[in-house]
Amino acid sequence: MSNSDRHESLEQMIAAAVRFLPPQGPIDSFVALNPLQGFENLPFEEAVVRAGRLYRAQPFLPEAAYREELARERIRVADVEAVLAADLGDRAASPLAGGRTTLAQLHRQLLLHGVKLENDSAVRWTLTESDAIEQLRDDLEPHVRARLLESASVAGHTTPGRAALVASELWHACVEATSGNRPAVGFVQPPVRHRDLILAVRPTLDTDAVVHPLLIRMVAAYLDQGVAAWPMPDRDQGMLAAIAGVYAGQFGPVEPWSCRLPERLRTIRAACDAGRPGRITALDVIEQELVHLGVPESAWADTVTETLVALRGWAGMIRQLEDRPDRAPVKALPVRVVDFLALRLVLDRVAVEWAATQLGPRDNSAARNVTDQLGRLWTELRDRHPLRRGPGSLSRAFLLHQVSQLLGLSAADIRGLADNEVVELEHAIAAFDQIVRRRLFHLAYERRHRIEVLDAVTAHRRFLPPLPSEVPRVQAVFCIDDRCESFRRGIEEFAPDVQTFGAAGFFAVPMYFRGIDDWHAVPLCPIVIRPGHTVTEVPEEQALADHHLRQTVRRSLGRLRGGVSQGSQSLLRGGLLTSVGGAIAAIPLVARVAFPRLTSHLASWAAEFSRRRITTRLELARHKKGRLPDGTLPGFDVGEMAAIVRRLLEDIGLTARFARLVAIIGHGSTSLNNPHESAYDCGACGGGRGGPNARAFAQMANSPEVRAALARAGLTMPNDVVFVAGMQDTCTSSVIWYDVERIPSTHLEEFESFRRLCVEAGRLDAQERCRRFDSVPTDVTAGEALRRVQGRAADLAQVRPEYGHASNAVCVVGRRRLTRGLFLDRRSFLVSYDPDADAAGPVLERTLAAVGPVCGGINLAYLFSRVDPLVYGAGSKLPHNITGLIGVMDGHASDLRTGLPFQGVDIHEPVRLLMVVEAPQERIKDVVDRLPSVKNLFVKQWIQLVALDPATGKLALQDSRDDTISFTPHTTESDSIPVAASSVAWYRGHRGNVRPARLLADAAGRRQEATVT
Amino acid sequence: MTLDALTLHPVSALVAWQLIAPAAALATIGLPTLIGRSLTERATTRVVAFAFSSCFVAALAVLVALANSSFATRVVHLGRLFAVGHHTASIDLVADGLSIPYVCFSTGLCSLVNAFAGKYLHREPGFTRFFILLALFGTGMNLMVLAGSIDVLFAGWEFLGISSALLIGFFHERRNAVDAALRAFVTYRICDVGLFGASVVIHRATGNGDFASLFSGDWPHATCLVTSPTAVAITLLFAFAALGKSAQVPFSGWLPRAMEGPTPSSAIFYGALSIHAGAYVLLRCESLLDAAPLTAWLLVAVGIGTALHAAVVGSVQTDLKSMLAYSSMTQAGIILAEIGFGYRLLPLVHVVSHAILRSLQILRSPSAMHDRHELAAALGGHPGPSSWSLVRLLPRRLSRHLYHLALERGFEETVVSRFVVRPLLKALIMADGIERRWIAALGGHAGDGGRRDHDGGMP
Repeated sequence: MSNSDRHESLEQMIAAAVRFLPPQGPIDSFVALNPLQGFENLPFEEAVVRAGRLYRAQPFLPEAAYREELARERIRVADVEAVLAADLGDRAASPLAGGRTTLAQLHRQLLLHGVKLENDSAVRWTLTESDAIEQLRDDLEPHVRARLLESASVAGHTTPGRAALVASELWHACVEATSGNRPAVGFVQPPVRHRDLILAVRPTLDTDAVVHPLLIRMVAAYLDQGVAAWPMPDRDQGMLAAIAGVYAGQFGPVEPWSCRLPERLRTIRAACDAGRPGRITALDVIEQELVHLGVPESAWADTVTETLVALRGWAGMIRQLEDRPDRAPVKALPVRVVDFLALRLVLDRVAVEWAATQLGPRDNSAARNVTDQLGRLWTELRDRHPLRRGPGSLSRAFLLHQVSQLLGLSAADIRGLADNEVVELEHAIAAFDQIVRRRLFHLAYERRHRIEVLDAVTAHRRFLPPLPSEVPRVQAVFCIDDRCESFRRGIEEFAPDVQTFGAAGFFAVPMYFRGIDDWHAVPLCPIVIRPGHTVTEVPEEQALADHHLRQTVRRSLGRLRGGVSQGSQSLLRGGLLTSVGGAIAAIPLVARVAFPRLTSHLASWAAEFSRRRITTRLELARHKKGRLPDGTLPGFDVGEMAAIVRRLLEDIGLTARFARLVAIIGHGSTSLNNPHESAYDCGACGGGRGGPNARAFAQMANSPEVRAALARAGLTMPNDVVFVAGMQDTCTSSVIWYDVERIPSTHLEEFESFRRLCVEAGRLDAQERCRRFDSVPTDVTAGEALRRVQGRAADLAQVRPEYGHASNAVCVVGRRRLTRGLFLDRRSFLVSYDPDADAAGPVLERTLAAVGPVCGGINLAYLFSRVDPLVYGAGSKLPHNITGLIGVMDGHASDLRTGLPFQGVDIHEPVRLLMVVEAPQERIKDVVDRLPSVKNLFVKQWIQLVALDPATGKLALQDSRDDTISFTPHTTESDSIPVAASSVAWYRGHRGNVRPARLLADAAGRRQEATVT
Repeated sequence: MTLDALTLHPVSALVAWQLIAPAAALATIGLPTLIGRSLTERATTRVVAFAFSSCFVAALAVLVALANSSFATRVVHLGRLFAVGHHTASIDLVADGLSIPYVCFSTGLCSLVNAFAGKYLHREPGFTRFFILLALFGTGMNLMVLAGSIDVLFAGWEFLGISSALLIGFFHERRNAVDAALRAFVTYRICDVGLFGASVVIHRATGNGDFASLFSGDWPHATCLVTSPTAVAITLLFAFAALGKSAQVPFSGWLPRAMEGPTPSSAIFYGALSIHAGAYVLLRCESLLDAAPLTAWLLVAVGIGTALHAAVVGSVQTDLKSMLAYSSMTQAGIILAEIGFGYRLLPLVHVVSHAILRSLQILRSPSAMHDRHELAAALGGHPGPSSWSLVRLLPRRLSRHLYHLALERGFEETVVSRFVVRPLLKALIMADGIERRWIAALGGHAGDGGRRDHDGGMP
């Protein structure tokens, strides 16, 4: 193979491998994404198991957790039976144990009751130290128990005596039955990395334990965005060259394992200096190292994958920064995954060579050189890789003893089995292993939730209110975010004449945005889009002087603050600062820790005060020709603005019956002590805050030129329609408003009353959120709740300022009428879509194209972070340590922790998103066929898709697992739906998830209820 | 053992309260866990909060009383551990111009950290454990600060060490955390030899462990009562102990690793109190230092060396907690040097104000993203790598080498492990082998030839 061919095949391997790296970018624009993106081409149930193997992660919750849910009837027996029937299909009736039982019975018993798998020593201990063998299980079904007791060979004993007799007789029969055949020996596919092979034979010799600390130091130093006062030299030459340059020095002692490293790095540095492109050099190094390691070429692809996955947080970050340098928080660097891989392989190889010497002298006479040695080591260790031994005979007897009881098989039955029948029964038990059981439990868990929600939607639809004849007083457009659900419900509970909508929170305005207080423009749009426009916020003419004064003051305060924090780390200035001025820090220390809310009030009052006279506007219209230095266009022209406005209004089905006031409300979240702060911001804004988008949209929609352009395109709105913009802070449950001074006086009264309404809704929202916080009493009043959530947002010590998307489970794409008045417990994304106005489906197409991946991504990020908080999640926040301004590590040297911290998902119930789309089935099929990646999410079951027929209200679940969408009608389990006077009345006193309920339509009553509480 | 605590003067009782309150809190939250129960989160934090804040108030009252008597030393005799012939070991506390301000500051800080941690560790599985360790730390801190004899000081010092190590390993399910805890613990134990040795020397020289027989007069103008060679021996041993606790070169490797624990404990231990324990002990026996210029110069050398080392290494750290650890180390070095130079009030003020600033910085460290964005917004850009002007003067090659040196933390660990740990381990393994062979030969067992797996024995 020629050089370039080899490079090409290496590139392909790397491209295939990086799919398995976490999709998370820098932490200041955290977007929740499916951590198993690399497995999305597989069905969900298979993918989690395969990914579990690659990452050594849990595929589902632990079995014990599901059993608890079974015990408290979150999972019902009917659910277990239903998923079992679907899972077995026509194998259900296959006979087992010579026709004495069936496969279906075996599975049912194993799922509902559970058996313990103990090793031989544990069984021996049980035999000698307890009388477990002489007792029948106490969870046997009555008829099974009766049957077993009847089978006793000796009559006349009392019942306990008979039970003991039956049990011990059965035990002896089981021992006899299992002693006949040998324990199974399973062949395990040996790993491909030397490190794993060595570890398997010598558990104390872990090459990653020596490589990782050094590699993390190198990579972190290279990627640093401004923590270190002294950055790595020559970073612009690329990662490999820069790191090789630093570490190639013949200077300083080295660890025994890395004594060959400087020499190798010198050759690499020389190659980098030779002037060839860095990428080629890196690929050369990769190839040389793989050859040197002696891994056969057929195993290169796996080696590359597993080598990258071994430190996947850092590797994934490098991949993200390579793909999207514009997302680097401060400084875009020339980073390449190939550089990282080359470096990593060099370190790995050096460490493996050292480890080989530690393994003791081996016969290397046949090896011609070092290269050969590592190759021979590889082959030898793969041959020696330990086999997996099945359970011993006592252990199997113990298992069989439990299973026989559950199935009602007596000692005589077991003795009556032929050898092959015993083997068959044991195989059937072994095949139904814990992974299968957990999978089925998970399906049952989701099934119960699905039925609860779908039944509620069906039942609620019977009370569908007639379309009101009057135009609504106010129309409010929120983000589709599940956290906006309670806010919208609150508004609707107070004001039946307000109509609310849900749209992706960037409001169809993709832009780079720079506010007057920002130092650079940030992208505000879904991460899949690269905005082509830049919008800046500028002070109004009359406020210019104040603005400059304020900027000067801010700058000097900033310099002072930055000087203190930098200076306190240095030697001389630090000595002076800390010894003389350090005590002044007692003031913020005491204030922040002891009086967080007061401190933040003071701070925000000061900020308000300094901004009080500075009115600003967005520089939205394009005045300049040409592009900005970053290649984007400055602002939008009228045509573009009209298209944006039209698109959003069509998406949400608001093209007629406009209210006089239309509010566009984005959202964001402010909290302290929270490296993951941006994870709580708007996902549709790429982890930014959606306020500026709302403001831009309102400004566009209010512009007369845009209105005229819209009218020409056939969308007319009355002249007295005014758009206002705001931003909801999901952490403090409050709304701030933009450009209030520009609202025409004719609309001020309406705006004022709506603003007050939002304040009230915010109080209700805070109260509803507080029920999830253990530290807040469940009977907290709305006013106190608001104070609590504001306090949490400002508290340095608070690790749960808000719960983000935790508990999200449902997405409804359809008219709000369907769900208005339904208590959805802040668990639903609500996307407005009018099926009647979209016969051909273009609106549905772009809606699904956006919300499928976004909501699915959020849901799966939470699901996996909860299922395995240590591998997919970021673990506990407590030891988190911000590194390089790009991510967090645990402690001082760990892999970058990706995913969500446990404190954000501990209340999450991991179920796949249930996406209900209100559209005819045929239209959904057509539309989805045009969106291959979204379709993949549906047919591979990453999202549960449900079609809701707009005309009949019939629901149907997408259940195909091949490449075509197909629906099976949902049969409702119950037609009734609980009724509650108000949201508060329904959730009061509960901490956990609360099922959907219909809220009474008596607005006056609700208002009364809310004021009482 | 006798106790005279019941017949105390009110001021002495307030001093004694400094021990009783945290110890009682420790018992109140610790004992129920022995029978498998623990107090609720709220009760736990309240008990500890009461203990620390009452100590703080009591200490303030003592401070006022002391100020009225122009900081005359008051010894509180709590009881006697044992008396054998001429040797006695008594439980004495001392309230003077050094200990009482220091107790005010440390109990105040503990109260704040307690309030912080109550929210920070909400719903954490190790919640009770954290507060047990915090109470243990508080008890040890107060014991050490108020100690009127080497024996009491030693006890407090050990409480400090064990609670510190256990808090570093708080997340004991993670390997890195346990490794770091072990490393800190081993460093502490090695340096504790210094304190232990000092205790032996003091007892031999004076017949009891009381500081009153080492020096007399009011801090900081006490006069040394022992001979100069004894003073040199004692202070050298104290200094050795201080090097470990205050993470001075060559015992500094544990400090950045110690950031594995929860943020509030990192703040109070490695930003504020534990790291300055060494300085406190040296300030305690300052009059001996005056009589031991050798130790003083050694402190200056080590302190300045550490400060330089930590400043250079700290400037390339890319994670916040390591950076803050090295910043603390820098100041701890400067403080030791100040003590060596003969200053008394300056290092005390420096300790207190550095501790306050640094614990605020560590408690704030998870908000760094937020703070950086605010700062960048105010400055109109991220603050660049500004201040490292000295490095720019170096030639390119040399600066690259220096960077390498800094990133590898001055090769301190490699050197220590290569030239100290590994030879020591080798010797131990050899001794072990000899012993086994010897026993095998005596006992007639074939033995395994003394070969055992000694992998991964690096502390």
